[in-house]
Amino acid sequence: MHASLYLVIRAVLSHYWCHRWQTLFLLVGLVAGVGLWSAVQIINQQARLSYAEADSLLGVQAGYWIRSRNDTGVEVADYIHLRRAGFRQLFPVVEGEVSTQRGEPVSIIATDLFALPSNLLDVDKIDPATVWLDFVQPPYRAWIPAQLADELNLEKNSRLPLRDGRLLPPALVQSHAQQGRQILMDIAAAFELLNMTSLSYLALGAIKPNELERLQSLLPQQLELIENHQHLDLQQLTESLHTHLSAMSLLSFAVGIFIVFNAVRFSLWYRRPTFINLRLMGVSTRLLMTSVLIETLFWSIIGTTAGVLVGMQIGKLLLPGLSASLHSLYDATVNTQLIWQLDTILKAWGITLLGLCWALAWPLYRQLKQHSLASRVSEDEKQSRQRLTRAAVVLVVCSVLLYPYLQDALSGFLLLGLLLFSAAWFLPSLLALALQTISCSIPDHPFIARWLVSDGWSQLPALRTAMMALMLAMTANLGVGTLVDSFRNAFVDWLEVRQSADIYLRSSRVDFGRLLDPQQSSAWLQHSHRRIGVTTRWQFRQTLIRGVDKQAPDSLNLPLAQWSADSPAKTLALWRADANSLLVNEQSHYLGGLQLGDKIDLETANGPKSYRVLGFFYDYGNPYFQFYLSREEVVRQWPQHYSRGVALWLNPQNENAVLLAEAAMRAAGASAGDWISQLQVRKLSLNIFERTFTITAAMNALTMIVAAIALLASLLAILQERLPQFAQWRALGVRSREQFFIIACPILIFVTVAWLLAIPLGALLSWLLIHKLNIVSFGWSMPMLWEMAPAWRLGGIILLVVCATLAMTGWQLRRRLPDALAQLGEMD
Amino acid sequence: MLSIRQLSKSFRQPEGDIQVFDQLDFNMNPGASVALLGESGSGKSTLLHLIAGLDRVDGGEIYVGDYQITVMSEAELAEMRRQHLSLVFQQFHLISTLKVIDNIRFQAALCQRYDADYEILLIERLGLTTQLKKYPYQLSRGQQQRVAIARSLLHKPALVLADEPTGNLDEQSSLEVMSLFSELVKDAGSSLLMATHSRDMAAFLDRAIHLHNGKLDAC
Ligand SMILES: Nc1ncnc2c1ncn2[C@@H]1O[C@H](COP(=O)(O)OP(=O)(O)O)[C@@H](O)[C@H]1O
Ligand SMILES: [Mg+2]
Repeated sequence: MHASLYLVIRAVLSHYWCHRWQTLFLLVGLVAGVGLWSAVQIINQQARLSYAEADSLLGVQAGYWIRSRNDTGVEVADYIHLRRAGFRQLFPVVEGEVSTQRGEPVSIIATDLFALPSNLLDVDKIDPATVWLDFVQPPYRAWIPAQLADELNLEKNSRLPLRDGRLLPPALVQSHAQQGRQILMDIAAAFELLNMTSLSYLALGAIKPNELERLQSLLPQQLELIENHQHLDLQQLTESLHTHLSAMSLLSFAVGIFIVFNAVRFSLWYRRPTFINLRLMGVSTRLLMTSVLIETLFWSIIGTTAGVLVGMQIGKLLLPGLSASLHSLYDATVNTQLIWQLDTILKAWGITLLGLCWALAWPLYRQLKQHSLASRVSEDEKQSRQRLTRAAVVLVVCSVLLYPYLQDALSGFLLLGLLLFSAAWFLPSLLALALQTISCSIPDHPFIARWLVSDGWSQLPALRTAMMALMLAMTANLGVGTLVDSFRNAFVDWLEVRQSADIYLRSSRVDFGRLLDPQQSSAWLQHSHRRIGVTTRWQFRQTLIRGVDKQAPDSLNLPLAQWSADSPAKTLALWRADANSLLVNEQSHYLGGLQLGDKIDLETANGPKSYRVLGFFYDYGNPYFQFYLSREEVVRQWPQHYSRGVALWLNPQNENAVLLAEAAMRAAGASAGDWISQLQVRKLSLNIFERTFTITAAMNALTMIVAAIALLASLLAILQERLPQFAQWRALGVRSREQFFIIACPILIFVTVAWLLAIPLGALLSWLLIHKLNIVSFGWSMPMLWEMAPAWRLGGIILLVVCATLAMTGWQLRRRLPDALAQLGEMD
Repeated sequence: MLSIRQLSKSFRQPEGDIQVFDQLDFNMNPGASVALLGESGSGKSTLLHLIAGLDRVDGGEIYVGDYQITVMSEAELAEMRRQHLSLVFQQFHLISTLKVIDNIRFQAALCQRYDADYEILLIERLGLTTQLKKYPYQLSRGQQQRVAIARSLLHKPALVLADEPTGNLDEQSSLEVMSLFSELVKDAGSSLLMATHSRDMAAFLDRAIHLHNGKLDAC
């Protein structure tokens, strides 16, 4: 048994040694598919690990905070008083922001290391205790997370220069402490740096309920105990983003597997004689099946190993960008150091095996099971086309049935998968139809024209899988491209209105009364918008209730997605007139289930109060709910509100407005770095945006390349298979140019059909992504921007790709034809 | 050695059934060599397929030695073919991705009856000594058919089934290959049933029978 198994495997696998091109393409398909898939898996895994770490971040872990009611901070004396009363779980926190010389904001967090409950900071991971003294003595130390230090170009013991000329304490770069992207230092250092004398808040470690009550009763009048709502489940928050990525990677994997399938079709075709031969020599079907399984196993191991290695490289390239945008979108810190995970590899192996079973083992099995060895009827192309079409119809029916039940990202992607596959399986019939139509309409006369078309029929079986892969890649390209373009478009428009102010100032130290005093500011200030807010929870999600100035320019032009009155303008007018009416973001509609006209009961300092929803405004990318009320209403109902800063519209008539504004802000207590100009805001927002979609663009491009490779593989295989025939034609006097046309023409027809199908499919895909998937997974929508330009561009690119592959094929033909011609003579 | 009783076989076709054999009887002794003559389409290949168990009969019985082909399972048939049969067909004669020497040894290695001395003898007689390290496509058709013959005899099968083994060759090499083939089969002690439409080829064997309208006539 073993000896014969070895013999059979050697015979079966020797194919790959003799046809190295095919082996190469099989490998490329496998490695590309597995590589892209595992890259995303590795990235997702990395992100999840980092979230778990972030959950234990300093300050975020505290269950309760003690803050001052009027936002003036907590006096050190109060803190000492409470600790003396026996609350050892309390530790002080100072938070602030400074600006680097380049104007980048850097967050500072400071605490008293000796007061920290031991479980909150993992002391073992921090450098030895000798440093601790440096930490609390001038010039102090700034503990900087490695990644941040990297971005700031900061080395150990060097001092980061700030915008106002001062220096940060000497840096201590370290990668372990749970501080996210914040710079950690001692309270005294932070007081000095931030010009503060009071603590931002006190954080409370684990505490028993009766202790909590005692603390409450001991609390001075001006302080209050609040539950920490910032403790977010990042995993839940970012889940949809990761699902999105996973789906993209599955799509790439599918394209890769199509290529494998394509390569396998050819290898099967070539090996048919070998299989028959083996059976004639008395190799049983079971033995052959075993060898096929071993072959599958062999490829799966090679594919997984190489694929995961490639995936690591891709992950390394993509992770920093993604990590940066995750940070700006969700405040999530993702470590960019990749780590190996055994279960990623096992999972990759699992799906590779599954994919290979479909692409390799199953067709081989079918070939072996063919009833009679002596059978003369080879697989009928027409029948298999019809079978595919029937399967496509079934898939379409399934997706129509699934459509009403669309409610999360997973079912959405399932629907997309069904639709894409059904389209792919329709393609062969469409290609046949195109050939039929063209051959009916073409005149009989130039004989070569007829020949061109009729030769298409003999290329169809060989090319159809490659065409499916190409069509899928084009569809994904158009669909995702439209999604990104629409998003960019909507986002830029939205920034235009929502962030129309020239300067945004956010600081807790500013005396707003003084800054906005009309008598002082009229020279440079045209409008201002002071915003306040309170954070609560509504429907288990963090919710910001904002007190806005309803007459401010940005409030007057708030872009609404849905409105209750006749027009957005009328709705906004109603909202301005009624203190008990609300505008809420789209997220509260799609994720929170709010409808126009609904009443929301909110817990206020004066008891529950209900507000009516008048409209939903666009709020791209925000994971939280937002409710807009007037500032006066928020001041009345939520005394614990805090300042969300002020937006300033400068006087356009005054050339010196910017300088005057900066002087006024400084005079009111702000320091450089507390404000940010509109230009900077836009640049920052767009940067975040672009970064978020780099990964999408990269996956898109890679998928496209992989599809192009599939095309080339098929063309070369066709060439190999038909070389004797081509040689015969040449012997009959067909010119080389004519011959090239005969190869090129059907391909151009097929690619055109695939492209034409990809355009409406791409539109459908992006429509589903924008109007269904985005909503079910992120809770916000946007207007879809559909243009033909990207489709034309894609057509151009594909044409180039086809020309390149044709050129390669032509070159191969020229190189190998002489040999084939020589063999022609020898045979007969 | 080979005995066929009341064999009938027809092919189902959309245009109507084709009755290839009806109640066919045939016997062959061990060591005999028989040429199966007949027009193209008379059913020669079909008969060989049925004997090798590659296709199923509609009725009747076929015995190869003690084996009753018509009642054996797929796996048993494979084992029987491996041990006792060898097939030399017009196409599919060699595994194109294995070298000549590996092709020659294949079936002998499969049924573990490899005889190195006999291998050397066969290779020399067939004039393949210098071709062993080549791939089949590097040989001429005549040489390829010699490789197929070497392979079919190395394990000394009880019965060799050959289907127009020289069909692809020109007349000169046909004659050369055929005389070598019939000699070597005799030396190996195997029986040979060979389908051909050429009486010249049939002349190399002990006797010939003629397949016509689903019946066999001696001639
Ligand atoms: N697999 C098959 N399916 C349908 N008809 C077949 C099949 N094999 C053989 N036939 C038919 O059976 C008859 C005999 O064929 P065959 O045995 O190949 O003849 P020969 O080898 O003598 O030329 C022919 O008419 C042929 O068309
Ligand atoms: Mg025949």
